[in-house]
Amino acid sequence: MIMNTKPKLLLVDDETAITDRLAPFLSRAGFEVRVVADGEAALREVVSFSPDLVVLDVLMPRLDGREVLRRLRQEGDWTPVILLTQVGESAERAMALMEGADDYINKPFDSNELVARINAVLRRASPGQPPLTVAERLRSGDLVVDRAKQRAYLNNDEILLSPKAMSLLQYMITHPDELLSRDRLLDAVWGWDYPIGTRTVDTRVAELRRVLDEDFGDPRYIETVPGQGYRFIGKVEKTS
Amino acid sequence: MKWWEWVLSLLPGGLGIIIASLATNSIISNPILFMRGSLSALAIYGGLTLSVIAVLAVLLWNYNQKVQIDTILEMHKRAGEDRRRFLQRLDHELKNPLTAIRAGLTNISDGPLDEYLANEVSAVQAQVLRISGLVSDLRKLAALEITPLERTKVNMADLLSEVVNVLEDRAKTGERQLSLILPNAPWPLPEVDGDPDLLLLAVHNLLDNAIKFTSPGDTIEVRAFDDDDDIVIEVADTGPGISTNEVQRVWEELYRGEGARGVPGSGLGLPLVQAIIEKHGGKVALRSRQDQGTVFSLRLPAG
Repeated sequence: MIMNTKPKLLLVDDETAITDRLAPFLSRAGFEVRVVADGEAALREVVSFSPDLVVLDVLMPRLDGREVLRRLRQEGDWTPVILLTQVGESAERAMALMEGADDYINKPFDSNELVARINAVLRRASPGQPPLTVAERLRSGDLVVDRAKQRAYLNNDEILLSPKAMSLLQYMITHPDELLSRDRLLDAVWGWDYPIGTRTVDTRVAELRRVLDEDFGDPRYIETVPGQGYRFIGKVEKTS
Repeated sequence: MKWWEWVLSLLPGGLGIIIASLATNSIISNPILFMRGSLSALAIYGGLTLSVIAVLAVLLWNYNQKVQIDTILEMHKRAGEDRRRFLQRLDHELKNPLTAIRAGLTNISDGPLDEYLANEVSAVQAQVLRISGLVSDLRKLAALEITPLERTKVNMADLLSEVVNVLEDRAKTGERQLSLILPNAPWPLPEVDGDPDLLLLAVHNLLDNAIKFTSPGDTIEVRAFDDDDDIVIEVADTGPGISTNEVQRVWEELYRGEGARGVPGSGLGLPLVQAIIEKHGGKVALRSRQDQGTVFSLRLPAG
């Protein structure tokens, strides 16, 4: 018997112009890919194909991506999901994570970036378990982030952050141990590219570090990966 | 009704009463005595009737004016909503084809290509990224109009220094004399309640334009001061200036002026600046003289 170790991907989008281009690329990247064009078919395939990860477009006729995600999670199905979002609004993207997506990527995106996201989610996912992205409260050492209340505490004292720094902290703490490039953070947290976007990210990360009282030489939470981006290095756990 | 409308309308009635009283008191000598009584009656009734008609006419006229103004305001509002919907739809409709094109190009560039095709593919890729940038700007514009601001206290002096810092190198290489003028006496620049990333983008776009549209040797000044409860930020240059018939149009989406030909840009930079500043409850303005230069100014409520 030949063991099939290729991770299985279910790609859901009603735009065949996109799936026809992406499916071969994802196959070459080492995945076993199945494509469906609507939400109802997606729900069926999650059962019969049992994919390791679902790449799910949000805007689809009949049953949209958000509804598919909601039904899966209601049934206790924690198959990792990456949403292909159309929304530019940060609050809506944060909502997507709370609703049970493992990550999201804005259209139009680069195929290589999608593969990077898929690999990161697969690495982080523990089968059958809800991801950190749906937890309402997360703890890392002395830091507690209450995502439902949009508040953060260090040693039980509330810390004051600008709205963007708060969104950034939430994205980073729900994607620990992952190399997050400045471009990725811009896309995920700001939702659009700025002409001086990478500097914008640096400014907010600097704010976070200042408020988190980080030691530059020996950071507890956010590490700089020279020339590449940032990584949340604290051990993260769900808390109540 | 305004006071003078009342005065004018009530004038005939008042005159009628005066004439009537003068007539009955024989101050006006009337050759035909029996008409004296009917003259005063005529003056009173005639005058009062005219006054009533005048009051009604003025009320009707004012009402009509108000209806017209309301209609115009309503039309403006609807046009604004139409434009917003149009931008959102355009953004949505462009995203899917762009995703497909980018994926297709990545597939092609993965295959074996000779030098000619490799060049062609990278040229097309660059153009697709350019359209992606345009879509991203459209999304910013549409999102700005519907999303509430994420407000925080913004130190504008720091923000302006940051923008100047970022673009200083380009100004220096292009031999522009760039300077930042900030007030220190009697007090420093007050803070603004707003979204620092958006405000940075607005000032960046202005300074970026100033560098793009000037020539070596030109002077560019970024300056700020407070004016009562506002702060005013100006980006001034000694560039070619903008002709009078273009001054209003530069704020229009996708408008590109005479001077902008051959200069890279999307035609969305200034509309974004305007949308950002108005979202903060501020105003944009520009003064320009041909062959002398241009001053863009942003007025923001200090918070």
